[in-house]
Amino acid sequence: MEFTLLFAAAMAFAAGVAALRWEAARGNAADCARDMGEILLTAAVVGLFVGRLAAMVGSGVNPLTSPMDILIVRGGVAIGPASLAAMLTVAFAARGELVAVADAVAVAALAALGGWQFGCLPREACLGSPTDLPWSMTQPGSAIGRHPVELYAAGIYLLAAAALAVVRKRRLPPGLAAATALTVAAAGRLATEPLRPSLGGGPVWWYIAGIVAGIGTAAWAMQRQSISSPAPAGPEP
Amino acid sequence: MKLRKALVALVLVIAACGTNADTSSIPDLAEVSTDAIITSIREAGRPAVVNVWASWCGPCRSEAPLLAAASSEYRNTVEFIGLNVRDSPENAKGFIAEFFGDAAIRHVADNDGSVVADLGGTTGVPLTFFMNADASVARIHFGVIDERTLALEVDELVRATGG
Repeated sequence: MEFTLLFAAAMAFAAGVAALRWEAARGNAADCARDMGEILLTAAVVGLFVGRLAAMVGSGVNPLTSPMDILIVRGGVAIGPASLAAMLTVAFAARGELVAVADAVAVAALAALGGWQFGCLPREACLGSPTDLPWSMTQPGSAIGRHPVELYAAGIYLLAAAALAVVRKRRLPPGLAAATALTVAAAGRLATEPLRPSLGGGPVWWYIAGIVAGIGTAAWAMQRQSISSPAPAGPEP
Repeated sequence: MKLRKALVALVLVIAACGTNADTSSIPDLAEVSTDAIITSIREAGRPAVVNVWASWCGPCRSEAPLLAAASSEYRNTVEFIGLNVRDSPENAKGFIAEFFGDAAIRHVADNDGSVVADLGGTTGVPLTFFMNADASVARIHFGVIDERTLALEVDELVRATGG
């Protein structure tokens, strides 16, 4: 069963690396695509580890007495701690040039999220709440049509990645691409959350926090740009 | 050196947490037959989630809190049954005390695994049967179940019952 998750992870990695190479070919990410790929992969692994650890502690499983349970990813991964750990890993790996690296991995991170969500197809885990819409999908043996909610999310992330890659060709203020990616990542999840099957309700506050942090960072980036490059002076009187 | 000692002490304290739960309030698990399970589901008149677990099964530990939460959320619409297989009574009770607490799950024992086999399952655990109100098996989930799958399958059961 875990192999389908690995397949989805491979799709995420492939989408991320493809985005990095595409950006490099278009002159967006210079010549550091391989390093960026390593940073993204490391961040994903650290995020997964911390998220799984947090989920174990949260559900009452002691990681010290049951250390092998950390490998049972299907047992749950806490999204908030996982995202935080992944971002801190990027920050640590890119210390000294954090803003540049965050911008460089922004498109690839969105593409990787899209790839992960698209991985619902091999995992047979695309279905959400019931609907009569013509593109609804059903479980084998069931007549209940359901939203392919993971494919919606994949669409949002992949379209956003493509749009951000196009926009990045213009000179964006440093940090704006990363802030946009963070905002879209959280907003995409927040928008699709009501359609996802869950017990009680998902960790919506984490997504709202992500949106707020993204918008705040974008505002900071734009303000920083306007300070460092003041408007051109008018004609001499 | 002091820091290292403090860290070792901390690790020991954390490692000791959550073990040796009090089992005095947990009754011995009654051995159950396939007919008894089917009859109980039909009499209850509502769909059932039958989770097969054992205390020696690591993945069962991972999914137990999820099943406990689901049993509380669907307390009025779905019956949750824990089917303990190939286990010692004391270990099973310890597992229930530690991971299921006061969850709305009725635990029974299937020591030789015959009920699981009759329902179409395998010897591997964990395993979860999703059963309609007429006790027919709607779906079998092999391995650890995640929140999305559990919520989806329970929703399918409830809607199929007209709930």
